[in-house]
Amino acid sequence: MRYISVVSFFIVFWIFACNGSKEKIYADNEKVIKLTYWCASNPQEIKLAKELVGKWNSTHDDVKIELQPIPASQSSEEVLLAAIAGKTTPDICSNMWPGAMDDFVLSGGLVRLDQFPDFVDYITERVPKDLLESFRSPDGHFYQIPWKTNPLMIMYNVKMFREAGVDQTPKTYSEFLEAAKKITKDIDGDGMIDQWFGYRSLKPIWWQRLFDYYTFYIAASGGKTLFKDSEIIFDNEASVKVFKLFQDIYANGYFPITEFQGDNFIAERLATNITGPWNIAYVEKFKSSDFEYDIFPIPVPDDYSGPVYTYGDHKNIAIFSTTKYPKEAWAFAKFLVSPESDLRLLEICSQIPIRKNLSTDSLYTEYFTSHPKIVKFAQQAPLTRGVDGVSDLKEIFDGISQEYEVCAIYGKRSAEEAVRKAAKRAKVIIDWNRSR
Amino acid sequence: MEIITKFRDSDKTGYVMSLPYILYFLLFVGFPLFFSFILIFHKWNIVTPMEWIGLRNFVRLFSDIQFFQSIKNTLIFLVVHIPLQIVIALMLALVLNEKIKFRGFFRAIYFLPVIVSGVVITILWQQLYAYETGLLNLLLVKMGFSKIPWINDPKYAMTSIAIMATWKNVGLYVVLFLVGLQGIPGYLYEAADIDGAKPYQKFYFITLPSLNNTMLLVIILSTIGGFSLFIEPFVMTGGGPMNSTLSAMLYIYNQAFFFGHMGYSATLGFFFAFIILIVILLQKKFIEQK
Repeated sequence: MRYISVVSFFIVFWIFACNGSKEKIYADNEKVIKLTYWCASNPQEIKLAKELVGKWNSTHDDVKIELQPIPASQSSEEVLLAAIAGKTTPDICSNMWPGAMDDFVLSGGLVRLDQFPDFVDYITERVPKDLLESFRSPDGHFYQIPWKTNPLMIMYNVKMFREAGVDQTPKTYSEFLEAAKKITKDIDGDGMIDQWFGYRSLKPIWWQRLFDYYTFYIAASGGKTLFKDSEIIFDNEASVKVFKLFQDIYANGYFPITEFQGDNFIAERLATNITGPWNIAYVEKFKSSDFEYDIFPIPVPDDYSGPVYTYGDHKNIAIFSTTKYPKEAWAFAKFLVSPESDLRLLEICSQIPIRKNLSTDSLYTEYFTSHPKIVKFAQQAPLTRGVDGVSDLKEIFDGISQEYEVCAIYGKRSAEEAVRKAAKRAKVIIDWNRSR
Repeated sequence: MEIITKFRDSDKTGYVMSLPYILYFLLFVGFPLFFSFILIFHKWNIVTPMEWIGLRNFVRLFSDIQFFQSIKNTLIFLVVHIPLQIVIALMLALVLNEKIKFRGFFRAIYFLPVIVSGVVITILWQQLYAYETGLLNLLLVKMGFSKIPWINDPKYAMTSIAIMATWKNVGLYVVLFLVGLQGIPGYLYEAADIDGAKPYQKFYFITLPSLNNTMLLVIILSTIGGFSLFIEPFVMTGGGPMNSTLSAMLYIYNQAFFFGHMGYSATLGFFFAFIILIVILLQKKFIEQK
C-alpha cells in the first residue's frame, strides 16, 4: 500500500508540475510570454495562421504565439461554449461568430477591447464606422474586432446558362424564376430531372436558413436584420416575398427535394450555388478545364429599388478574459488585422477583410487584377449585414426554419401564415428565455 | 467500531482492484446523474451562471407540443421497427439454423451492418432513398412505377428510417434468436414428428413458446434501442420533413446543444427515462410467461 501511495503522489505531482505557468523562464533569465491562438480549422485558414504566427514569432522574442486550430465539432460556437465552461479558452481567437457574442459577453468571458487607448483609432482606420457600430455590445462596449466578411452571392455556371438561352444574369425574382425554368431539365430522358437551377439543404437546422431565407431577406428588405432595438421586425412583406419565391422554386422542381453528397455544382448538375468568396479557391482547385463560372448578386423582388444588400458571414477576433496578458494579446490582434495580413487573408483564403476602400487601395490592386472573380465579392462587402447579437438567435432561426420547411419546401402553408407563425414563435421564445 | 476494525484487518487488495470501477462510476455515471437532477430546477446555458427556477421546466414541458410530437414520432418508429425486426430476425434465424451451405458466411454477412458505424450506414441509405437521384426510385421508375418520397414526405419518412434501422440491427437479433433456437431440445421436435405434427404446428407449439425468454430480451433491447433513436434522423433528415422524424432524443439534444437549455433538456431527459421505464415494465408484464 505504501508503495502505491508513493507512486500515486509522484504521478499527481508530475501532472501538476506539467500544467505550470504559461510564462517560461529561459536560460538567460529572459521572460517569454506565451499566448495561445485559435484559428478556424479549414486548411486555408490554418495555412494563413501558420504563416502569420511564424512571422510574428520571428520578430517578437518576448511574446510567442502558440497556434491551435479550433477543436473539431459541429460548430465553433459549441467548442467555445465548452471552453468557456471549462475555463480552457485560448488567449485569442479569430473565428468568433457575432451571433454568439451576447452569451460570451454576458458570461464575462471576453476582454473589453475599448479599454485599450488605441482601439478606436486603430479600428476606425480599417473598418467603416457604421459597420463597427453594428458590432457594439448592448452594454455599449466593444468585445470583437471586425476581421473578415464573406458576402453571400450567387455563383453560376456560365456554360449552362448560355446553353439554356439565359443571356442576362437574373436581377429580380421574375428573372430568377424564368432562368430556373429554362435550366431545370431531364437531360437523358429517364423520367428523372438531372439538371437543376440550384440546391439548398432540406435539413431544418437553424443555420441552414442563413444561406437561403436570411440572405434573400436581407436583400429584399434593403438591409434589415431580424431585430431592431431588441424587437422582432422580420414579420414583414420582405419575409413573405422570400417565402413565396422559395415556394415557387420547390413547387416547380427548380431546386431538388433531396439531399446530395459531394459538390454537384462542380459536377455541373446544378447551375447556381449560393456561396461566399471562400468557394473560389475550392472551385479553382477542383473544376474541370472547360468549367466556366461567374458571380451575380442576390436577386430582389420585382418592385424593389435601391442597393442590393446581402448576408455577410462575418468572423471576428476576440480576446478571452482567461488571458493573463491582454495587452500582448491586443498587440497580436492588431498584427492579425494589419494591411499586410489582410493581403495574405485575400491571397491564401480568398476571403474579404473588413477594410475601407479595399478594392481601390493600391496595396491590393495587383491581387484584384490577377483575381477578377473576387472583385465582385469585394465590391459587395460594404453592402452586407451580419446577424443580431442576441442569445435567442439560434432558436429563433430554428422557428423560422420550421415554417420555411412547411411553407417553402412542402407548400403546406401560405407564406403570410408561415411568417406570422414564425414571428409568433420567436416572441414566445424570447418571453421564455428572458423571463426571470 | 466493529466495521472499522473489520475493515482495518481485511485484505485491501479487493478495494484497490475495484477502485477503477468505482472511480469510473462516480465520474461518468454518478456525478452526471446527480448534476442532471440538480439542473432540472435550474435555467443554465453553460456560459452564464445557473438560475434557480423551481418547477418551471416542468411547466414548460407539459405545454411543449413539439416534445410530445417527438415522443409520438418515437412511438411510431417503435411500432414499425420492433415487429419488423422480430419477424425478419426470426425468419433469418430459422433459415440460418438449418444445415444450409455457407451457413457461417451468411451469419457473418447478416451481422456485418451491426458493427459498421451508424453514420456510415445512414449516409449510404440517404443516397438510396434520395427522391430525385436515389437508386430505389431509379429502379421504381425503370419498372414503370412512380417515385416514392422515402424521406421527403412526412407520411413515409419515419417508416423509411425504421426500415433502415431494421436492416442495420437485425443481425444482432438473428444471433440472439439463433442462441435461443439452439437451446430448444431436439426431442421435442422428434416427439412432434411421431405425433404427425405439421411444420407450422411445430413452429407455433414448440419453437415460439420455447423462444419466449429470447423474445422478451429482443423486445426489451429493441425498445430501449428504439427510444434512443438519434443518429439516423440526426444525419439523414435533421428531424424533418415537418418534424416527422424528430425523435425525442434528437429534440433533447437540440434543446441542450443547439439552444443551450441545459436545465430544460435535463428535465426532458428524466421525463423520457421515466416513460421508457413504464413501457419496459408493461412489456415485461404482458410478454413474460412462466
